[in-house]
Amino acid sequence: MSTREVFAGRLQAGALLLPTMVVSLVFLYYPTVRAVALSFSRVSLGRGQQFVGLDNYARLVGSADYLQSVLVSVLFAACIVVGVMAVSLAVSFLIHEVDLGKGLYLVAAIWPYALPPAVAGLVFLFIAHPTIGILTGYVEAAGVEVDWFSNGPQAFVVVLVAAIWKQVGYNVIFMTAAMSNVPASLTETAELDGVPRTRRLLRVYVPIISPTLTFLVVMNTIYGFFGTFAMVDLMTKGGPAGATNILIYDLWRTAFQFYDFGFASAKSVVLFLTVGVLMYVQFRLSDRYAYYGG
Amino acid sequence: MSAPLLAVLSAAVDRSRSALGSLDRPTARRLDGEQIGLHLLTAAAVFLLVLPVLIAAIVSTKRTGIVTTVGDLLPGGYAQTNYRRALITLGFWRFMLNSLLMSVVIVVGKLLISLLAALVIVYYRFPYKNAVFMFVLFTLLLPVPVRFVPLYRLVTDLGLGNTFFAITVPYLASATTVFILRQHFLSIPASLVETAKLDDVGPLRFLVSVLIPMSRGVLVGVSVIMFVYAWNQYLWPLVIVNSESLQVAQVGLSLLRGQASTGEVAWSMVMTGSILTLIPPLALLVLFRRPLLETFTIQQK
Repeated sequence: MSTREVFAGRLQAGALLLPTMVVSLVFLYYPTVRAVALSFSRVSLGRGQQFVGLDNYARLVGSADYLQSVLVSVLFAACIVVGVMAVSLAVSFLIHEVDLGKGLYLVAAIWPYALPPAVAGLVFLFIAHPTIGILTGYVEAAGVEVDWFSNGPQAFVVVLVAAIWKQVGYNVIFMTAAMSNVPASLTETAELDGVPRTRRLLRVYVPIISPTLTFLVVMNTIYGFFGTFAMVDLMTKGGPAGATNILIYDLWRTAFQFYDFGFASAKSVVLFLTVGVLMYVQFRLSDRYAYYGG
Repeated sequence: MSAPLLAVLSAAVDRSRSALGSLDRPTARRLDGEQIGLHLLTAAAVFLLVLPVLIAAIVSTKRTGIVTTVGDLLPGGYAQTNYRRALITLGFWRFMLNSLLMSVVIVVGKLLISLLAALVIVYYRFPYKNAVFMFVLFTLLLPVPVRFVPLYRLVTDLGLGNTFFAITVPYLASATTVFILRQHFLSIPASLVETAKLDDVGPLRFLVSVLIPMSRGVLVGVSVIMFVYAWNQYLWPLVIVNSESLQVAQVGLSLLRGQASTGEVAWSMVMTGSILTLIPPLALLVLFRRPLLETFTIQQK
């Protein structure tokens, strides 16, 4: 790498880095620092802000609504990770195993990567609508009364399905790439030994592509926490009774419906720490699995 | 609307073999029962993934948009009426145009400033270089959702709330782009830059006449990733934009829902808007899937 460093003008280097540094400082670092500062303040319209110490954090810990939101978020993200990865693993393996037309299958499976979350939310709101949804009649014929506008667990499941649907494409991109890198000799050995396909998937491929899988666990968790805001907003508005009130939606409401910016800043800090922990986990895990290659 | 979608997909078939040939393992091609079973399963799986959007596309061609049984899933004759009504009468063209402008400015701006940053990080020798790289990488921890509340206060304090500046400039710094470009530059032989240096080629000329031409695939891939990211933004425009003339398609969809819900055609309008909003990122994904897939393999490292 050192042989590449042929240019030495310090001023020039500084000037070329300037745009990235300025935008990062002003719009990324400064707001984050300010969020930490605001989280120790009470902010009221017109009267500015006053220091209140850990009051906002004490309110967080003491708030039953917030604790419910934490629980809903963790459960939601966990269901997304499991659901998305199970579906994507199956779809990726099928695409890997078919002999012809992989290209077409692949495009037909990865396209939800481009799907806007708002569109995913509206389409599912429509096809699973309690009164006019095309799915509703069939689900009710199976003996389930569809009323997810007032039934919390049902609302959770409907938003979850929309969220999983949108995220499968992203996972299939990485999983098919990882599977195509598995040495062909391993596949041949397994086939010669008469190992059934599903066992070859679970015992040979899954361990070998585990670095990719851990990367995806972290990305899907972050998606579950943040990427599903539009779906919640358009489908349930966090309800009914907080059943889909994930942290990011709760934060948005605190800031822009109740204008409680100090409290909202404390909630932002919690989310920042969550991302930090997830990134750290990914960093450590990818270190540990480095020997497998990618 | 299902016809253009299908046309796009079938065009993908024609080119898929050459574009994604590397995925095809040269195994013995026999049409045995097992392979037929696999094809049926795979086809069923991808059909389920496409089905919701297919339904949306069909509903966007119908008058009322009430679809309660499979029998209602025949395309109607109202495609032209619906799309014209959504785009022109209900003003959705404005949201689409705003989204397009926002996305293009973000993609071009990010590419430009990230190219400069990656050039310095790979090809310059200067003190605290690792610290600078860490400073850029650390912004991965600061996605919009964790800072939109203080960012809102900052942008409005600057008097820039509800402006085009607000929905573009805060997005311009990109750790992901700098990182992908850095990885790609490191895969270009060092001898090239040494030769350039001996020939007295300056850094900017080296960037323009050597690095950029050698990075076409990655630049296209990164552009698609960033376009999809920018186009699909919902939370920040929802918070910072408060006039319909500046609103983007993602948020405009719920305005369309509100405006359309006065008449009986509400749902077909909402699905029409949904399909319109889906088309630009989907078209880019289908057209540029090969560089996109290649770029993703860099990102993961």
